[in-house]
Amino acid sequence: MTLLKLNQVGKSFGSGEAQTVALDGIDLELKQGGFLAVVGPSGCGKSTLLQIAAGLMLADRGSVTLSGESVVSPPAHVVYVFQQYTKSLLPWRTVLANVEFALEGRPDIGRAERRDRSRSLLELVDLQSFAGHYPWQLSGGMQQRVAIARALAADARLLLMDEPFSALDALTRLDLQNLLLDLWADRKLSILFVTHDVDEAIYLADWVAVLTHRPARVHEIIDVGLSRPRDPITTREQSRFLELRHDLLGQLMKRRNSHG
Amino acid sequence: MLGRRSGLLLIAILLLSWEMTSRTGLVTSENWPPVSAILAGLVHETLYGDLVQVIGATLSRFALGYVIGICAGVIVGFTFALVPFVRRMFEPIIELLRPIPAPALVPPLVLFLGVDDLMKVTIIAVTAFFPVAINTMQGASGVEPIYLAVARTFRTGPTRVLMKIIMPGTLPYVLAGMRISLALALVVTVVSEMIAGASGVGYYLVLMQYAVRSADMYAAIFVIAALGFALNAAFLAAERRLIFWYAPVP
Amino acid sequence: MGRWLAKVAPGGIVLVLLLWGIEEAVDAGLVKRSLMPAPTDIGRILWELFVDGQVAGPLAETLARLGIGFAIGATLAVIMGLAMGYWPRVYGLFEPLIELLRPIPKAALVPPLVLFLGVGDAMKITSIALAVFFPVLINTVQGARGVDPVLIDTARTLGVRPLPLLRKIILPASAPFVFAGIRLSIALGLILAVISEMIAGTGGVGFLIIDMQRAFRVRQMYAWIVILAVVGYLLNLLILAAERRFLFWYQATERT
Repeated sequence: MTLLKLNQVGKSFGSGEAQTVALDGIDLELKQGGFLAVVGPSGCGKSTLLQIAAGLMLADRGSVTLSGESVVSPPAHVVYVFQQYTKSLLPWRTVLANVEFALEGRPDIGRAERRDRSRSLLELVDLQSFAGHYPWQLSGGMQQRVAIARALAADARLLLMDEPFSALDALTRLDLQNLLLDLWADRKLSILFVTHDVDEAIYLADWVAVLTHRPARVHEIIDVGLSRPRDPITTREQSRFLELRHDLLGQLMKRRNSHG
Repeated sequence: MLGRRSGLLLIAILLLSWEMTSRTGLVTSENWPPVSAILAGLVHETLYGDLVQVIGATLSRFALGYVIGICAGVIVGFTFALVPFVRRMFEPIIELLRPIPAPALVPPLVLFLGVDDLMKVTIIAVTAFFPVAINTMQGASGVEPIYLAVARTFRTGPTRVLMKIIMPGTLPYVLAGMRISLALALVVTVVSEMIAGASGVGYYLVLMQYAVRSADMYAAIFVIAALGFALNAAFLAAERRLIFWYAPVP
Repeated sequence: MGRWLAKVAPGGIVLVLLLWGIEEAVDAGLVKRSLMPAPTDIGRILWELFVDGQVAGPLAETLARLGIGFAIGATLAVIMGLAMGYWPRVYGLFEPLIELLRPIPKAALVPPLVLFLGVGDAMKITSIALAVFFPVLINTVQGARGVDPVLIDTARTLGVRPLPLLRKIILPASAPFVFAGIRLSIALGLILAVISEMIAGTGGVGFLIIDMQRAFRVRQMYAWIVILAVVGYLLNLLILAAERRFLFWYQATERT
């Protein structure tokens, strides 16, 4: 069952001579409960694509539908997770208060329940003992976990993640990848995950869409076909993984070189 | 710390040479009283004279004008940032008034409001207004865009965005403007008392100059400096408590 | 063209309305002419002043004092600031003294300066120089201390000696801060110029303003205030233009 559908989405920036076409007819489909990764060279418009899907930006051409309904503003139960996690957390609020932010303004949830829900979500990401800390007192990986907890607090059914782990060190990244997979399976989320890291895309996703250089189009969509649950070490050693990796890297690097 | 010690030593040496050159008659000038005489006079005036009243007069004017000015500045700053049309309407007038040096506003205000407190409080308020208004406006319109994007992805309503994101996010800028206003407002208080005063530290200063009572004159300068220092320190302490979370972009 | 007009129009309209309102109020006798003359009267006086060439003299006086005071104060401040920024010993030696003197409003130093130097140009230039000195010094120190150590170390490994290093690396790298200090100091210098002329003057724009007020020649007073405001505004534009010319690299770097 299709949850999110992008149909010939196009977006340009600037006007007149200085106009650049960022996205040129993107077609993507994410099934309910699926995990779709999008890879492409830096600056090819992956973030733009994601923000359009999140309703934070309007496409110039084409359409975005969520369960059949058009997306023109941030829809309910869809949360965009930022790449700059540090800046996405409100620095004047504690970790707990940051998670609570997602629940505020909902008249049906009282203060006590809000606090309880936020605490249990912090437990889910293993940060319950840092509830009273402030974002800058946490490491990068921990901050991103707070952002994830916050997204879950908003009852997200669809997560749109913009290179969320790219600024973290390798080991933290592996940790968070596994956390994400656990949450995805437990809560039956749907995830659209943008990254420049081919390994990460293959490891996490059911399908990987490859974008071209700007003006970006979908070059191909690959079915990963690796068994679940995925293991951080052994999955990465499977021959299918290595094949896909070889293939994808080859494509991305070739186009890099041909672009000079 | 070695460095700082040499600096304090320097100050001590300078003070000492001031004292010595004055007492030993090396520099014979009425304008060069011994430091000890200045301090003695200061203590005397505080205990037996009306120095406390004088300072009180200055501080009350300052406080009134300052508070009015920053309140107006915050309100206008937020309004300009949130309602661009209002900003476009009134910004040119403000931009025209801003470059006028504060002392140049004293004479016309004297005509309108006389030489008493109303004039002084007005000019203090006007001086305090500008830095706060400008900083608030810049802060409110320059709130980190990503915070606003976060609010949008969590579908936060406009009132809550204003109260929970824009206001806290603007606070560092408002406080920075208030700190600048603090220094300027104090200067203008003193200056207005100097130019058109009948009470207060600035008036006292000019009075001592005319009377060539240099020891008391220097004492007045010392008091003014101490006031500025104390107010600034108090403000910084309050600021640190309020925006402990803020890491300014270098 | 249309967009620029749409941006400027609301403000321009309000401004014109305000001036027109004042004009009408004065004509109708609502506001005493001795307090607030009609804008057209002020405009006429301004025109006369220009046409008769009466603007040049006092303006030149004030600007000359400002210019000399600024040159002295800023030069000393930059030199000292660079030295303090580069050598920690120098910084430690002077920083307490600077911190002690900084909170003193420089306007308060005018009376003692009058006692020492009389009411002539020396007093005015000195007070302007003092007002200019501190902001430029503090900003220069901040800039010099904030220079990326990588830049400095690179130069030192290339064998650059201290004085050329100051001139070729620390100074340009601190330039953005120095300019910020200069912008602030021009405003303060102008204030001091006006104050010193008001308190103890015989000429210059500041003196004229207060003189006209005492003589109840109100239209002239406002005319000179307008001239002063325009001067302040133009000086600011001048600095901004200089900034853009000298700091094009900084703004570009900051953007990345």
